[in-house]
Amino acid sequence: MIQIENLHKSFGSLEVIKGVDLHVKTGEVVCIIGPSGSGKSTVLRCINRLEKPTSGRIIVDGHDIMAKATNINTVRAEAGMVFQQFNLFPHMTVLENVTLGPIKVRSMAKKESQTFGLSLLDKVGLIEKADAFPEQLSGGQKQRVAIARSLALQPKVILFDEPTSALDPELVGEVLEVMKQLAHEGMTMVVVTHEMGFAREVADRVIFIDQGKIQEQGPPDQFFTNPKNERLKEFLGMVISHI
Amino acid sequence: MAFQFEPTVVIETIPMLMRGLKLTLQITVGGIFFGFLLGSGAGLLKISRNFFIRKIAGIYIESIRGTPMLVQAMFLYYGVPMAVGIRIPPITAGIIIIAVNSGAYIAEIVRGAVQSINPGQMEAGRSIGLTHTQTMLHIIWPQALKRMIPPLGNQFIISLKDTSLLMVIGVGELMRTGQEITAVNFRAFEVYMAVALVYLVLTISISRAMLYVEKRLSTNKG
Ligand SMILES: Nc1ncnc2c1ncn2[C@@H]1O[C@H](COP(=O)(O)OP(=O)(O)O)[C@@H](O)[C@H]1O
Ligand SMILES: [Mg+2]
Repeated sequence: MIQIENLHKSFGSLEVIKGVDLHVKTGEVVCIIGPSGSGKSTVLRCINRLEKPTSGRIIVDGHDIMAKATNINTVRAEAGMVFQQFNLFPHMTVLENVTLGPIKVRSMAKKESQTFGLSLLDKVGLIEKADAFPEQLSGGQKQRVAIARSLALQPKVILFDEPTSALDPELVGEVLEVMKQLAHEGMTMVVVTHEMGFAREVADRVIFIDQGKIQEQGPPDQFFTNPKNERLKEFLGMVISHI
Repeated sequence: MAFQFEPTVVIETIPMLMRGLKLTLQITVGGIFFGFLLGSGAGLLKISRNFFIRKIAGIYIESIRGTPMLVQAMFLYYGVPMAVGIRIPPITAGIIIIAVNSGAYIAEIVRGAVQSINPGQMEAGRSIGLTHTQTMLHIIWPQALKRMIPPLGNQFIISLKDTSLLMVIGVGELMRTGQEITAVNFRAFEVYMAVALVYLVLTISISRAMLYVEKRLSTNKG
């Protein structure tokens, strides 16, 4: 589904991604962990070209995202993204947030998009909030709307960038539940997260990024119980001792 | 002969100013309307990704904001026709001057409002597959427009007062009407007091109306 080969990314003279290779198979759930500033978001944002790679190759669902012939908007509709800060559209109702993509990008009729949008809101448990504005929702509800908004494009993969990091602790669970459900339904997911419990339970593979490189990866049981990389050991120790 | 204030002259003058008031309003509304179109265009060009496009918008904005409107009016009404060989009727010229002048200030209002929208909004729009233009149109612009309302109201008041300068190109607006009346009755004190009162009623009404609109918008979403 996603093939990243030798990805490099610099901001000015600062090289933040120093050669990342990553293949994500259809239906796979990959969790990315790592210290703040290590380049996790940058890798994720290169996948849908919110950041332009400096060099390397990224293929998403068969489209080379750097190729001239590729319509990046088509790729983005296939690769949804959920942001840490939700980024809902505050001037639109919850339902309008969800139906905008289907109407404008998928050319769906308005009526049809509303039925579809309501079914997605039902799926994330927010059908009763369809006519509310984002401002009236809790953080957890906002993030669930954001997930429904990206699902509305019927994407082949969803990229999550620390979807629960901006939430009050008691609201984290409801968002992780929705993500778990998606994983069980077979959605391909790349999730940058600090939720080790989620990674352990849901991920097919966990990846540790540090200083712009993948330092270690593997299935969660092996990854968490028997880490090899010194910095990963330190990082896991640090994260656990902070809880 | 000692000066004696005649309140009745003030009261009698006000109805005589109504013809000028009508022109003042027409020119202000027309000027701000086209100024908004011009300013929206220039404001968006000012944040274009293309350096030359940004420069062109910048030259327009700087040269208007850096020169007095009186000079702009004289230049456009007396200067430009000498170069191009067409005379513009004073009222049309007045609307053009207000539009070109307010457009430069509105461009900065538009630029500021658009840039004040969280960049996450553009990213969210692009991430669901909307084009840059679609995101601008459906997501950034509606939110920016709401933030523009108070400064636009302010610009409306400024431009309304600026129309008084158009008397120098012979537009029979409020100020010029007042001047014509004093030429007949020599009651400058009372007549200009009446003129000032009319401006004051207008500007206070506009700012009250703007406050009301702002209040409505802050309680209603969307
Ligand atoms: N737009 C940008 N301009 C300059 N530097 C950036 C930009 N985005 C990220 N960086 C830098 O790149 C590095 C990696 O950032 P990021 O990918 O956000 O890390 P993470 O998500 O792992 O915390 C950081 O040092 C950050 O300061
Ligand atoms: Mg990050």
